[in-house]
Amino acid sequence: MVELRGVRHRYEGRLVLDLEHFAVRDGALLAVVGHNGAGKSTLLRLLALLEAPTEGRVLLDGVTVPRRAPAALRRRVTLVEQRPILFRGTVHHNIGYGLRARGVGHAVADRMIGEIVERLGLGPLLSRRRHELSDGEVQRVAVARALAVRPDVLLLDEPVSSADRASAGALYRALAAERAARPLAVCFASHQLEDAYRWADDIRALADGRLSPVTPENLFRVELPTGGGGSDTMKRVRVGGIEIAVMTDRTGPVVLAVPPTDIFVSREPLPSSARNVLAGRVTGMAIERRGAGVHVTADVGVELVAVVTAEAARDLALAPGSPVVFSFKASAVQVF
Amino acid sequence: MDFLAEGFRRAWALLVAGDAEVYGIALLTLKVAIVATVVACGVGLPLGYFLATRRFWGRRAALTVVNTALAFPTVVVGLLLYGLLSRRGPLGGLGWLYTWQAIVIGDVLLALPIAAALSAAAIQGVDARVRRTAETLGAGPWRTAWTVAREARFALAAVITAAFGQVVAEIGAAMIVGGNIRGSTRTLTTAVALYTSQGDFGLALALGLVLLAMALVVNVALQALQGRGSG
Repeated sequence: MVELRGVRHRYEGRLVLDLEHFAVRDGALLAVVGHNGAGKSTLLRLLALLEAPTEGRVLLDGVTVPRRAPAALRRRVTLVEQRPILFRGTVHHNIGYGLRARGVGHAVADRMIGEIVERLGLGPLLSRRRHELSDGEVQRVAVARALAVRPDVLLLDEPVSSADRASAGALYRALAAERAARPLAVCFASHQLEDAYRWADDIRALADGRLSPVTPENLFRVELPTGGGGSDTMKRVRVGGIEIAVMTDRTGPVVLAVPPTDIFVSREPLPSSARNVLAGRVTGMAIERRGAGVHVTADVGVELVAVVTAEAARDLALAPGSPVVFSFKASAVQVF
Repeated sequence: MDFLAEGFRRAWALLVAGDAEVYGIALLTLKVAIVATVVACGVGLPLGYFLATRRFWGRRAALTVVNTALAFPTVVVGLLLYGLLSRRGPLGGLGWLYTWQAIVIGDVLLALPIAAALSAAAIQGVDARVRRTAETLGAGPWRTAWTVAREARFALAAVITAAFGQVVAEIGAAMIVGGNIRGSTRTLTTAVALYTSQGDFGLALALGLVLLAMALVVNVALQALQGRGSG
């Protein structure tokens, strides 16, 4: 298990990461979601023991890692960067890099490379060089290169950012196969909630370098009925004590996401096209550390978070306990 | 014009005839240049890598010192070294003044800042992901350094060329600590200066042409190496 405790990390004085505790447990399949600049890449670099935090500790299996992590510890955690870089040489040479660094003999290395190449379907690329590969192929080679060394923890920074959806599926299936074959914890950063919910067992949201409770809270695991309550694509599903109208063809178990910025906030129900009009009371308000947004949490039968401008929050005189109405269109609800 | 043409004719004759003095001076120059370049780059390239990749207190000051040393006048280096190596100097006991070893030391002092400063710049120019990737794949410090250096190979080859160029073309230190002694410490540059002042333009020109040829061969050889290493 690799974990961060009391970590505050700064670049040139600017606080970029502020985490009391963050852990990737043995065998976990964890997604870290957040917008660009939320601190995801920095978090992964700290977890990969490539940088030491300005304050706080990084622990590997409960033992504090020295500020300059020795190779023996670094070898247990491997990071694939958002835009990975391949070294000079062929794909085969690249995939074997970490094995050579570990002094693995040629015969064993070739067998290990062969296994991973087969799993990721990289056979035809083996003799190619980096300038002969597409971005998606570079990404797959980088993942293969990282998996070849059989780390305990694999960290992936936006693993499908440069790949098409089909190869993204192939990549996640390959990871699943790897995890089925041996104990491997995977932690990937993504700005796409869809990927996070489709492939991860657990999700952490990062905003402005802190763990944010906002994103996961507007997410609901539900069972979508076949047929539907209204038209062909409009469905009404029960979430906690309320019903939410959703536009979707999907059926069965899904995750619904209500983007906090798509929620219209008012003091009273207003006539509008929104199919979801939920009245309740404000339970919490948080001002964004950067930007002018205010996160308004309200109990409307379930806990929902909406983002409004500071000006709007003031005009509506929003405060904890005040009555509030959240409205959003059925088409605003995302289905994963 | 006749004077120039006559100079070239004599230079050519000396070169073709395999004049012992010309080739003796050329060989000494080559020996001094190779030893000094190897030592300067052997120390300077790792130093440049260290300055480029490690964060430590005083790093900025160290980089400033190295960059300032790039512009160190050769005669000043020669003068300081003379003070150290002369009989009354702290290193006088070595008896190295007016030997080829003294010229090597002077040349190393002049080429070292070039090797360190330019290689630091070259290494800083390598994508930071290369080093991180090597480290996350489990490479130790040496393998990581080698991997980063491979990515900067063109720039580092240029650094070696520049260091060699400095050493082979330098005259101030070689003159002061070498003494320009015939058959012992006379290098191409000191000889050219001497023979020109003595009016032997042809001999000076012949030596100058050898110097040019030497620089050309080194550059062509390094370019050939670079061409082989692409991809």
